[in-house]
Amino acid sequence: MGIVACGEEEEEGGGGGGTAEGTSLTIYSSLPLQGTSKEQSEAVINGEKLALKQAGNKVGKYTIKYESLDDSTAQNPGTADEAQTADNARQAVQDKSTIFYLGEFNSGGTKISLPILNKAGIPQISPSNTAVGLTTDEPGADPGEPDKYYPAGTRTYARIVPKDTIQGAALATTMQEDGCKTVHIFNDKTTYGAGLARNVEGSAKELGLEVTGNDGTDKNAPNYRSLAQGIDADCFVGSGVTGENYIQAFKDVAAAQPDIKLYGPDGVAEAAFTDPKKGGVPNAIGARTKVTVATLSPEEFAKQGITEAEKFFTDFKAEYSITGQPDPYAIYGYETMKLALDTLEAAGDKANDRKAVVDQLINKTKGRKSVLGTYDIDENGDTTLTDYGLYTIKDGELTFDKVIKAKGG
Amino acid sequence: MSKLGELRQKQWAGWLPAAVVLLAVFLFPLFREPLDAQMSDAILALAYVVMALGLNIVVGFAGLLDLGYVAFYAFGALTAGWFASDHFTGIGGDSGVDFGVSEFAASLPGLHFNFLLIVIGAIIVCAIAGAIIGLPTLRLRGDYIAIVTLAFGEIIGRFAANGDEIKIGDYAFSNGRESISPIDQLNFPIVGEFDSATNLRPYFWAVFALVLVVLFVNLRLRDSRLGRAWIALREDEVAAASMGVPLVKTKLMAYAVGASFGGISGAFLGVFLNSVNANVFQFGFSIFILAMVILGGLGSIWGVVIGAVLLSYMNSNVIPSLDRGPLSDILTDLGLEFTFTQVSFGIFGFILVLMMVLRPQGLLPERRRQMELTEGIGVGDETIAETRA
Amino acid sequence: MEAASVPEASVRPTGRAATWDFISKWGLIAALVAFPAFYGVSDLINDGNLSRLGNNLVAGLSNGSIWALIALGYTLVYGIIELINFAHGEVFMIGSFVAFGLYGTLGLTTSTGVAGLALGLFVVLILSMLACSSLNVMIERVAYRPLRGAPKLAPLITAVGVSFILQNVGILWLGGSQKGIPDLIQAQRALFEIAGVTVTRADALAIVVTIPLVLLLTTFVTRSRLGKAMRATAQDPEAARLMGINVDTTISLTFLLGGLLAGAAGLMYALYQTQVWFFQGFTAGLIAFTAAVMGGIGNLRGAVLGGVIIGIIQQIADNREPFGPQWTPAVIFAYLVIIMVFRPQGLIGEETREAG
Repeated sequence: MGIVACGEEEEEGGGGGGTAEGTSLTIYSSLPLQGTSKEQSEAVINGEKLALKQAGNKVGKYTIKYESLDDSTAQNPGTADEAQTADNARQAVQDKSTIFYLGEFNSGGTKISLPILNKAGIPQISPSNTAVGLTTDEPGADPGEPDKYYPAGTRTYARIVPKDTIQGAALATTMQEDGCKTVHIFNDKTTYGAGLARNVEGSAKELGLEVTGNDGTDKNAPNYRSLAQGIDADCFVGSGVTGENYIQAFKDVAAAQPDIKLYGPDGVAEAAFTDPKKGGVPNAIGARTKVTVATLSPEEFAKQGITEAEKFFTDFKAEYSITGQPDPYAIYGYETMKLALDTLEAAGDKANDRKAVVDQLINKTKGRKSVLGTYDIDENGDTTLTDYGLYTIKDGELTFDKVIKAKGG
Repeated sequence: MSKLGELRQKQWAGWLPAAVVLLAVFLFPLFREPLDAQMSDAILALAYVVMALGLNIVVGFAGLLDLGYVAFYAFGALTAGWFASDHFTGIGGDSGVDFGVSEFAASLPGLHFNFLLIVIGAIIVCAIAGAIIGLPTLRLRGDYIAIVTLAFGEIIGRFAANGDEIKIGDYAFSNGRESISPIDQLNFPIVGEFDSATNLRPYFWAVFALVLVVLFVNLRLRDSRLGRAWIALREDEVAAASMGVPLVKTKLMAYAVGASFGGISGAFLGVFLNSVNANVFQFGFSIFILAMVILGGLGSIWGVVIGAVLLSYMNSNVIPSLDRGPLSDILTDLGLEFTFTQVSFGIFGFILVLMMVLRPQGLLPERRRQMELTEGIGVGDETIAETRA
Repeated sequence: MEAASVPEASVRPTGRAATWDFISKWGLIAALVAFPAFYGVSDLINDGNLSRLGNNLVAGLSNGSIWALIALGYTLVYGIIELINFAHGEVFMIGSFVAFGLYGTLGLTTSTGVAGLALGLFVVLILSMLACSSLNVMIERVAYRPLRGAPKLAPLITAVGVSFILQNVGILWLGGSQKGIPDLIQAQRALFEIAGVTVTRADALAIVVTIPLVLLLTTFVTRSRLGKAMRATAQDPEAARLMGINVDTTISLTFLLGGLLAGAAGLMYALYQTQVWFFQGFTAGLIAFTAAVMGGIGNLRGAVLGGVIIGIIQQIADNREPFGPQWTPAVIFAYLVIIMVFRPQGLIGEETREAG
């Protein structure tokens, strides 16, 4: 049944795939449910649940069971805890009815769960990973990536957000359009932050901007004043997630450099960062900051003729009684689950066969019309969408500004 | 003849309960699924047993309060990270330098050595590190030793967390908060390579074998000349010195031996968790292990084993399951909005306080301490008033 | 605390011990001064003036005063019962949390007027100090007093346990991540400039709050009856008891004073950093303890001196290549180890007993 690439001894049913048993299939979701990521993760879960509900919890003759796992711990909130992530992945592998694994949220977590799930042949979709090395070896990846995450030799992982080569280019393009000549970067030293910083550096240089520094920050440091005081640039990119103390980083840079323009990636595109009432950056600093997220606003989606998005926003707001715009990641949760369900549907009778589902996901997802637009999943598991949204922060909320068509990347 | 017969019976009787328990533990994985979460917890628990036994030598036998034990975990794990992953890609070209590993691992770049060699490497690195950390504390008194070891633990933690900046040529000390991952799977000569993604049973038996070896070494050490020197050191340094116990050598040996156990366990944990990430090298870990030793009973080998298993299970099993159980519902009904995992720190600290106030000798006290407390032998512990003199 | 009534001559070491004492003292001073001196020289070479170093010194002074306040708490407690109160850093952390909580209760925001702010912060100061002092006294009563007669290991472990419990209180209170809090006094706004050295509002605040508190404390300890009781108990509890001093109450009083200072430090830290975190007490505690040891544990002036020195070292390490904020703790702990090994009595402390 399964073709395995490395020396496994004790395998009963074959390593690279298998049939999920029974007529009930399980879809696992693994997200950080504690700490600063809590709200964002809940938005993703709500999106996933909405998609499942709309499908009536069924695909063909199979009922779908949904299980939400937490990959963070009390000691390590706001991000994926490695031991916990491994446990989640193993739990999914152990469960013979698992047909999809939706996670992780953080790229550093996927590094741990992907090899385990890949071995078992379980298809995996991430709503938010952007680290380049998870799928390709383009600039920004570490040596050995991505092959070391695919011990079974085949691709079983897809993501619905563009990788950071695109986000790096988007940030660089925005900065260039805003008139920056010199850029200083901070990174939070995680897989995501450090990788994105490398991408930003590369893209900025390509566009002719001078990069005056790329400093790694330590989450435990009480403040970054000294680093901030040493900055000598017009523009600043804080390549990190909120949970790695990046509110403080932005505050310190803004205070030390009163004229500098501030830019943040999707790692800080959450209410915990933007809303001063929730402990985020003060409004004065928010007004100087621009954030890139791969989501577009409902109006922009409508402008591009993506009617599915409009319908999603209406449904989502109705289902969860929300006024105002939902968290940017809600739509990703929705699309992650929808992609999974549609893949299962396309696999037809073989929806309980992991190998068939993987094949459908990676090789046969082409021209997919979705709430994010029309896209393919390429042979690496990447989406062909490349639009990034530029957001400003008004009154503690992310407000859509425009679409960035990234140059290069 | 009859006296010998009696003695023999005594020794066997002492070993019987332990043997039964060990057999039960050995058979445990056969009753669970290959990837069961319980087995993952059990493997962690056994790895922590090794750690706790190591700390027990320093704190329990020799009476040197070491609050920086996490440093040895770090060194052990880093040894695994250096010599069993692609961290040092570049040495030896595309296929790296290999020795005694599977074909798959041999084809990857970087240094790849057999786990047994890594264990030896970890022992050496940690023994040296332990001696170096112990050196400054030789002339110091109890609480100062605690602070110095704590400081070292933090310094090493810092080095690990910022190790991606420390480079010789292209090769970094560690990968900081991005993990060194993946680490080669365990691979032994006859049984071949293990695979933690599909079957945890071999890992369980491997760590169990490790525990048995470490236990054996511990028991022999305790009853050896060195072990008795440690206990003499702990009870009364001055008297020990005057009886000819070489203080410096004995103390350094305590640190070195204790550290090497930490290193062994650290290397195993690095391999099992498949990643070496500086985020876990925190002070809280040192206290976690210390709590195991205290809970079990300072200086008591079996007590420490029990303490380690109990606390490890509490951390990975009991507390999360409390959150899923009826107790959690009762709390929500009362309007208290917290989860038990959120208060695991506090529960921990509470156990420490409780143990110290109510039962400082631990759950399974060392025989000597038991004698002190019940029969009043050797009670010469200083009181605050006396130390003033 | 220093045994102020014992004549100096009888404690001065002689002969070989005196030489070592001399070498270690000046060696330590040299090691401490080398750090800023080296960077001062490189500044002169690179920039042509000492303003960068000056800024470091000023920031170091204000940071250091926070450490000094916490260090005083450590030193007071150690002086009287020879216990390293591990939980003291966490008491400081609770002080910051209480201060932040009071911002909300009193309605202090960034738009509150100067008079309202001054009054409000004064009230917050008093309340935080009271909260921390009560907490400290309670901890002593519950966790340390039962273990008065036990071997040193026991209260030390208990202190660690208490610190964990308090950290958890912090987690439950404001969550596990850092929490940004309003910058009420615009701490980083420059107040004035001398010779290229900027003095910010936070710096001024630190000095303005710390100096009176330290003076009050030293006056209390040296002049008042209770202070004398504290010093007597520190010197010899049995004799103090025989002289009619209630040792238990005196010890509680010591904890109370330590808590008061920790509460003040907590508020200042909150104003200065504009961020609180359940874990801040751990690092702060270790740094403050280093300061206490550097000055001479048990010695009040030493604690203040140590605090300032550590503050300066911290600022310089934060600011300069090849260090940076991620290496600063390592630098400080390295100094701690050096002090412990070569001169455990610190700069101006009296000789403490070693092994045994």
